[in-house]
Amino acid sequence: MERRSLLKLGVGAAALLALAGGGVALFQPGLAAGRLTDSGKRVFEAVARAVLDGSLPRAASEQRAALSAQLKRLDDVILAFPAAVQAELSQLLAILSNGAGRRLLAGLSTDWPDASVAEIQAAFDDMRLSGLAARQQAYHALRDLTNAAFYADASAWRLMGYPGPRPI
Amino acid sequence: MTSTTASTIPDPIRSGLQRGWRVRGGAHGPLPARITCDVAIIGSGAGAGITAELLTHAGLQVVLVEEGPLKSSSDFRQLESEAYPSLYQESAGRKTADKAITILQGRCVGGSTTVNWTSSFRTPPTTLEHWQQHFGLTDYTEAALAPWFAQAEQRLNIGPWLTPANRNNEVLRAGARRLGISAAGIQRNVKGCWNLGSCGMGCPTNAKQSMLVTTIPTALDRGATLLVETRADAFVVGHGQVQALVCTPVAGNGAPVHGAAPTRIVARHFVVAGGAINSPALLMRSGVPDPHRLLGKRTFLHPVVISAATFDERVEAWSGAPQTLYSDHFLHSQPIDGPMGYKLEAPPMHPVIVSTTLTGHGQAQADLLKQFPQTQGLLALLRDGFHADSPGGTVQLRDDGSPVLDYPLNDYVMDGARRAFLSMAEIQFAAGARQVSPVHEMARQYTSWAQAREAIQALPMKPLLTRVVSAHVMGGCAMAGHERQGVVRPDGVHWQLANLSVHDGSLFPTSIGANPQLSVYGVANRLATGLAMSLTGRDVQLVA
Repeated sequence: MERRSLLKLGVGAAALLALAGGGVALFQPGLAAGRLTDSGKRVFEAVARAVLDGSLPRAASEQRAALSAQLKRLDDVILAFPAAVQAELSQLLAILSNGAGRRLLAGLSTDWPDASVAEIQAAFDDMRLSGLAARQQAYHALRDLTNAAFYADASAWRLMGYPGPRPI
Repeated sequence: MTSTTASTIPDPIRSGLQRGWRVRGGAHGPLPARITCDVAIIGSGAGAGITAELLTHAGLQVVLVEEGPLKSSSDFRQLESEAYPSLYQESAGRKTADKAITILQGRCVGGSTTVNWTSSFRTPPTTLEHWQQHFGLTDYTEAALAPWFAQAEQRLNIGPWLTPANRNNEVLRAGARRLGISAAGIQRNVKGCWNLGSCGMGCPTNAKQSMLVTTIPTALDRGATLLVETRADAFVVGHGQVQALVCTPVAGNGAPVHGAAPTRIVARHFVVAGGAINSPALLMRSGVPDPHRLLGKRTFLHPVVISAATFDERVEAWSGAPQTLYSDHFLHSQPIDGPMGYKLEAPPMHPVIVSTTLTGHGQAQADLLKQFPQTQGLLALLRDGFHADSPGGTVQLRDDGSPVLDYPLNDYVMDGARRAFLSMAEIQFAAGARQVSPVHEMARQYTSWAQAREAIQALPMKPLLTRVVSAHVMGGCAMAGHERQGVVRPDGVHWQLANLSVHDGSLFPTSIGANPQLSVYGVANRLATGLAMSLTGRDVQLVA
């Protein structure tokens, strides 16, 4: 069951997984009961640093607080998805948390917490223009979920000049 | 932010519940183990609402089954963070199998009518002619349908929008005029509209005449039962007809409620109106006869591509009635079964929808989103289903029984998308845009029409590089005049099961070529009136 739905990420992901030489047992799930696991959080925190670069506060302590709030919002966004979507996301995060999977799917040689914003962004640019659907799909999933969680919050609206709903 | 709506604006749903409406499921109490009624309607959107009003008018005992929650004006706070998870299928993130198209579909009482942008068009005559010629729908003529549309328009207050268009829409008119292209006003289903622009998050003032505030309350006042947060799992089929419907209580994200028992609904007749992905999926899970392998096939989306423009002045595309002007110029510039035509409209923009739909990341994205107040958007609805190279998509079931749509974006569709990018950029520059950016991973912000034209002609038009979205799912349970061509007959009744009807957008044998809500209303009006007559011998009307 686990392996069958993993294959639904696409032929590309299946091939990558085979290349990575990993059985499903070697992978830590990205979600548990619909919530991000520690390994899932590590991926999404690094994704947020790269996708939201230019929108996050620059001061270290403020940025840490913003990333922590981002992960909390993301947890709520993910919890609202149906089980089938959560299962795919959990598997995507599992592949990305594994060293071999990260290198093959994201093309990132440095582990997520240690990777610089520039390294992650370069990896994302390769992913989104990749000829392999699985790499493009992974980029869209990471990027869109990050933006959905971030820009849903009123604190991000001032960055866009959006005044919020008109009072009624 | 606290809601002020409860104190200032009457809430028709809360009042109805206080009057004693029969609503069960979720916070409204557990479902009974067994329900017997005359007609069970699956869904509560455009087709279901019209059907429920007419059947209850005929004196029939009706039960509506809705997977989403019952929300209303007091809950609608114009917040994307609340609206998408509670009111949309898959949290507004429903995607096709290859993830190349994002689909916006309602999942709440009122269905997509609760969250749509109010655009109301009758089915175009060219579309009806195609159905007559190719699908044997000989009585689907413009003249025969006109009274059914007129009644729906009267019942739902569909009429011209007399308030000036917002600047987002004015760009379409201004650019089209300079290029000698026709543009016109869109009719809307509103009464006392506040011109807020947040229709996609549910109407906080009850101005939008969705099923949530019109037909569903009428049916509930006439004694209908509404089951919410309840999934229609499968029909029990036997002896050549549907014997029962089995349902399960579900949580907000669609997961079955732990330990809750299923409900069995026994009815004389069943009407499927769950939307054009969920309706075929329900029939597939139920194993209904499908001798010609048509079920879930030819599912259409009006695949949409988007062009974003930046102006020197503020556009504030979030503010004011969302879609009020359109151009059909590029639907009429070639034959309906020729290269794919497209309808142009100007969509509303809010932070989540714009940040997830536009492309890029990092500083480039931050810079793009800083221009949000000056950003204008056009969209092109590609008219799919009229050409041999446009067979649409196929609904499939996942291991857990939930549906997923496989919709390959082939070269024929992507040729239409490229021409649409060109048309939209030309219109935006003609209206004075400083920069135009087709929503494509490899596009940049172009500063002149000549530059944009050259760049768009060279863009690789591939899925996942081109951002494609859809809010119009149609087909999959097509009606046709011949059994070999359709899942249901022209009267909406299933070709093989006489006590099963389909009354939603899944009926359409092609896409509509216009925003489909009024097409669903008009057709459902006709079919439900016929169904009421066949079940009761009574002639009922949507309006007197």
